[in-house]
Amino acid sequence: MEEGRKMYAYQCKKCQKLHHPRYIVCQNPDCDGREFDEMELGGKAKLLTWTRVYNLPEGFSQAWLNFGIVEFENGVRATGQIGFDDIENGMEVVSTVGVIRNFVIKYKESVNEEQYGFIFQKP
Amino acid sequence: MREVGIIGIGHTKFGKSQVPFLDMACAAALEAMDDAGAKTGNKNVIDQVFVGSMGSGMVSRVSGIASALVDTLNIRPAAAETIENGPASGASAVKLGFQAIASGCSDCCLVVGAEGMRAVTGWEGTDFVATMLHPTGEYPYGCTLPSFAGMFTRLLMEKNGVESRDLSIISVKNHANACLNPVAHIQNKVVLERITDERIIAATNPLVADPLRQFDMCPVSDGAAAVLLVAKEKMKDLGFDGKPFIKIAGIASATDTHYVANRADPTELLAVRLSSQKAYDMSGKKPEDIDVAELHDAFQILEIAESEETGLFPKGQGHIAAREGKSEIHGEMPINTSGGLKAKGHPLGATGVSQIVEIVKQLRGTAQERQVEGAKTGLIVNFGGFGNNVVSAVLTNE
Repeated sequence: MEEGRKMYAYQCKKCQKLHHPRYIVCQNPDCDGREFDEMELGGKAKLLTWTRVYNLPEGFSQAWLNFGIVEFENGVRATGQIGFDDIENGMEVVSTVGVIRNFVIKYKESVNEEQYGFIFQKP
Repeated sequence: MREVGIIGIGHTKFGKSQVPFLDMACAAALEAMDDAGAKTGNKNVIDQVFVGSMGSGMVSRVSGIASALVDTLNIRPAAAETIENGPASGASAVKLGFQAIASGCSDCCLVVGAEGMRAVTGWEGTDFVATMLHPTGEYPYGCTLPSFAGMFTRLLMEKNGVESRDLSIISVKNHANACLNPVAHIQNKVVLERITDERIIAATNPLVADPLRQFDMCPVSDGAAAVLLVAKEKMKDLGFDGKPFIKIAGIASATDTHYVANRADPTELLAVRLSSQKAYDMSGKKPEDIDVAELHDAFQILEIAESEETGLFPKGQGHIAAREGKSEIHGEMPINTSGGLKAKGHPLGATGVSQIVEIVKQLRGTAQERQVEGAKTGLIVNFGGFGNNVVSAVLTNE
C-alpha cells in the first residue's frame, strides 16, 4: 500500500449529492451541477455482494481474485477487490487503497510471420 | 410509421470459424439475401447496410467492416455503417435498420451481426469483453462480466431463493435445445446429475465466478447472422412479392447505470424492463401474447431475471418456472429454443441478430424439431454491458 494514495467521493457543489466514481454531470435527476468537490472516501463499509473469480483477464496471473460491492457509511457504493478469503455477505469491511493491477494494456504486440504480396521493381 | 418486416435470414455455424472474419460476415449476409431473393450489382435494391460488431477492429483487426462488406458483396452504393453496442450490437443494428425503413429514409436494409472471438486467447478475450465495464471504477480492478454475474447471482439467491441447481436446469435445457439446432456451437447433451453431484462437481462443473460455475455461462464463439428488412408497402416494387414477411411489431432499447454498484436496486435489470415495455407498447402486445422468447442467457441467471423483467413469469418466480419445465420447447412459455447463448454460442455482435433469426424461423414454422406449435408472436432481449444498454423486440407473423 502506497502512502498518500487516496480514493474520492465527488460532491456536487450545487445539490451536495455524493458520487463515486467521478461523473461529468450530477446524477441527481433534479440537478444539473457540473462542479464537484473531492472528498476522501474510505473507512468502514458494508459488503453488499461478492464473488471469487478464477478466470481473470489478460495480465492477471493470480489463481483467483475476490471482488465485492460495498456501501460506505455515507451511502456511497463502490466496487473493488477484497483482500481476504473468508467472506460473507453483509459483513463489515474496512477500505484501504492499494495496487489493483501492475500493468496497463496499451496496444497489441506483433509476432514474426512472413506474409507475401506484390513488390514492383524496375524492369 | 411504415410497417417493417424480415424477408430473409442467414446464420453461420457458431463456434470456431474456419474462414477469415470478413468472409464469415459475408456468408451470413449472402444467405439472408438469397433467402429473400435479393440480387447484387445493377439489380441490388438494398439501400442501407448496418453491421453490428463489438470488436472486429480490436480483436479481428478489421475495422470499417460495413464498408468492406458492401464492396465484397457488390451492393454498392448502399449506405453502410458499423454499429457498436457491446453484446447488444446486433439488435441495435436491427433497431436502426427498422427505424431507417419505418421513417421512410430507406426501403430495404441488410443487417448483419458478426464477431470473431476465437482469434485471441480466452485470457485476451476476457480482457477485451471487460473493456466495456466502467473505465475507472470497474475495469482496472480486473473485474469481468462473469464477476458481475456472480455478484448478481449471489443477491438473487439471497432474495428469491435461486439455487445453483436452478442454473444447471436451465443450462441442461438449453444444451438439449442446441442439439436440435444445426447452427449451434455446442451440440452435446448435458446430464443434470453430472454437473450438480457434489462428489464430482469440482471436476465436471468448476467454479468460475463464485457462485457461478462453468455450465452457468456461455462459451466463447465466432459467428455471424443476418436479416434482410423491407418496407411492407415496397415489397412488390422491390421484387419481393410473395416472400414470407415476419413483422417487427416493436423494437426499442433502454439504458441503465454504467457503474453497476450505483443501481438503486442491484437485483433489478431496469433496462430489460424498460426496453421490453417499450417494445410491447409499440407492438400492442403483452407478455401473455408471447409464444416463444429468445433471452440473453450469457449467464443462466440472466434467463431467470429477464424472464421476470419482461413479464413472462412473475417477479421472483423465474427459477421456479424453470424447475417446473415451463420454459422447455413444449412448456407453456418456451425460452431459448435455439439453445440460447449458453449452447448456441455468443459471438457478441452476432447474438442479437441470431436471436431474431431464431424467432423468424419459429414464426415461419420452419424451426423443425425445435418448432413451437402455432407460434405467432415472439420476443427477443439482447443485453449489452452488464445490463446498462438493452434492446428488446417483438416479432409477429400476423
